[in-house]
Amino acid sequence: MVVDPVYLVQLALNGIIIGLLYALIAVGLALIFGVLDIINFAHGELLMVGAFAMVFALPAVRLWYWPALAAAVVATALCGLVIYELFLSRLRIGEFERSILITLALSIIILHVAQYLFTANPRIVDTQYGFDGVMIGTIRITWTRVIGAAAALAAFGLLYVLLKHTQFGRAMRAIAQSRDAALMVGIRPKRVARNAVVLATALCGLAGAALAPIQLVTPGMGQYLIFKAFALVVIGGLGNIPGTIAAAVGLGLMESFIGGFFEIVWQEAAVFIVMIAVLFLRPDGLFKRGAMRVG
Amino acid sequence: MTLLVLAAMLLFAALPYLTTSNYIVGIAISACIFTVAAASLNLVYGFAGLLSFAQLGFWGIGGYAAALTVMTFGGNFWQGLLCAGLVNVVVAVAIGYPALRTGRHAFVIVTLAFSLLIALVARDWVSLTRGPLGIPGLPAPGLFGFEFNTTLRFYWVAFGYAVLALGFLYALSTSRIGRTLVAIKQNEPLVRAQGISPMPYKLAAFAVGAALTGIAGGIFAFHLKLIDPLFLDFYFMQTFLIMVIVGGAGSFWGVVIAGVVMSALPEVLRFSADLRMILYGVVLLAAMLAMPNGVAGWLQEQSLARARAALR
Repeated sequence: MVVDPVYLVQLALNGIIIGLLYALIAVGLALIFGVLDIINFAHGELLMVGAFAMVFALPAVRLWYWPALAAAVVATALCGLVIYELFLSRLRIGEFERSILITLALSIIILHVAQYLFTANPRIVDTQYGFDGVMIGTIRITWTRVIGAAAALAAFGLLYVLLKHTQFGRAMRAIAQSRDAALMVGIRPKRVARNAVVLATALCGLAGAALAPIQLVTPGMGQYLIFKAFALVVIGGLGNIPGTIAAAVGLGLMESFIGGFFEIVWQEAAVFIVMIAVLFLRPDGLFKRGAMRVG
Repeated sequence: MTLLVLAAMLLFAALPYLTTSNYIVGIAISACIFTVAAASLNLVYGFAGLLSFAQLGFWGIGGYAAALTVMTFGGNFWQGLLCAGLVNVVVAVAIGYPALRTGRHAFVIVTLAFSLLIALVARDWVSLTRGPLGIPGLPAPGLFGFEFNTTLRFYWVAFGYAVLALGFLYALSTSRIGRTLVAIKQNEPLVRAQGISPMPYKLAAFAVGAALTGIAGGIFAFHLKLIDPLFLDFYFMQTFLIMVIVGGAGSFWGVVIAGVVMSALPEVLRFSADLRMILYGVVLLAAMLAMPNGVAGWLQEQSLARARAALR
């Protein structure tokens, strides 16, 4: 079988781009897990909120991409804040299963409210870039994908700076490392948890808003992506952010290549099979379980 | 107490004589089947402490195994159910042994991935399962020439199974095995210190839960007379989970009562599918916030509080 190198590069680029978006979702989950020790089942619905916010914000700013993106991120972060204050702040440490069920309930509610209000019809989002793309040799990538990937990279850079060089971020890493020790030096866990949730949902909203022009927006779009994100968090080592990013990009590449050479069917199944296999062989994840290691 | 249980059983047994409405009997059939599935999940989650999303996968495997045994391999209904149970036990042990060795968090994710994988297989392995077309036209079961071909008659199958399965689960949960499972959930290192290995118990609970859920799934498929990939929709998992949580994880009767009540609830809320699901979500949320141990747990706390107050 003659394999066209251009095709390979195209697949690789697509894979990296989608991997970066998966990473955005998964890093948010990893952040929440590291600081609050809960797995947020409502993360997919928050992604969907970000995408729908984009759907409604774009016509309002005459299809300008960046203001709409900012608005979508802020809207999703606000949702995250409300969810934290109302529900998650009541969870105590060690109530892992209860947290799953609360976030699962929230996910059901948000999903069906969206379905009730917006119907299940898929929506296409148009931006100022339309379908214009950039040509690298014979490879074509749409601007929306490029910007999506760039925004993800920028977000990761910002996250790194936040976590490593600001008190905001250091407090989060402290809580993730040892909650008791953090308490002893005067870090307030409730406040840090709130910050972490807002940050994570902002990342998730960014992912949703970036995805909106790339694929169809439906109320159920989060459900499918979120299971992969869970897998990525666990494979990357619960709470280990660089590990999660690496796992996400790896997954994106794997999906892209499998989809490019085999039937689409295998693409989805392969993800779950690999995930189960990795979890059986290395139950603690591929990378060391990080207390939010940043580098 | 036993008198109450016997009376309730008699009432349920007499249902087809009390009403000829197919609608009500249909709800009762669903109630029987879902309650067994919820009670199995209660065994795994409430007694052994393992939050497992794999029940959905076993439900689906059971349904498809029974349907395929009858339609493709020419067996009868009862052989189909037996097949459903056995296949599920094998799969449960195969998946359970590695999964139980992972940590608490990874276990939840692995079981979730397992169920999603089964849903994918049901949809995409078209040569075996006919994919999204599903397997329609499942025939009514028969026993010694007596055909269970009406809803009223099929009720006996569902009710009979419910009595057998719930009886078995009750015996299990009040036995030494059940108490050991509760001990494992409460403090696993202490159980080990007593010289009991937790793994066989956890694996056994997982396998028993899988088998009972699978057979329930088989019966439900024949009740619907059709099986398709929607059988593995996450809705069923949510339903079982809600029944266990609202009833009280770890309480046998709490889950049974919650199972019956929550099966009737959606019928009352028939006016809108989305509003019904929103209400489900709200109920789950409220239950988790106000009564984390379900109604049964809340009742227990009340009686404890009364006892404490009486001591003053």
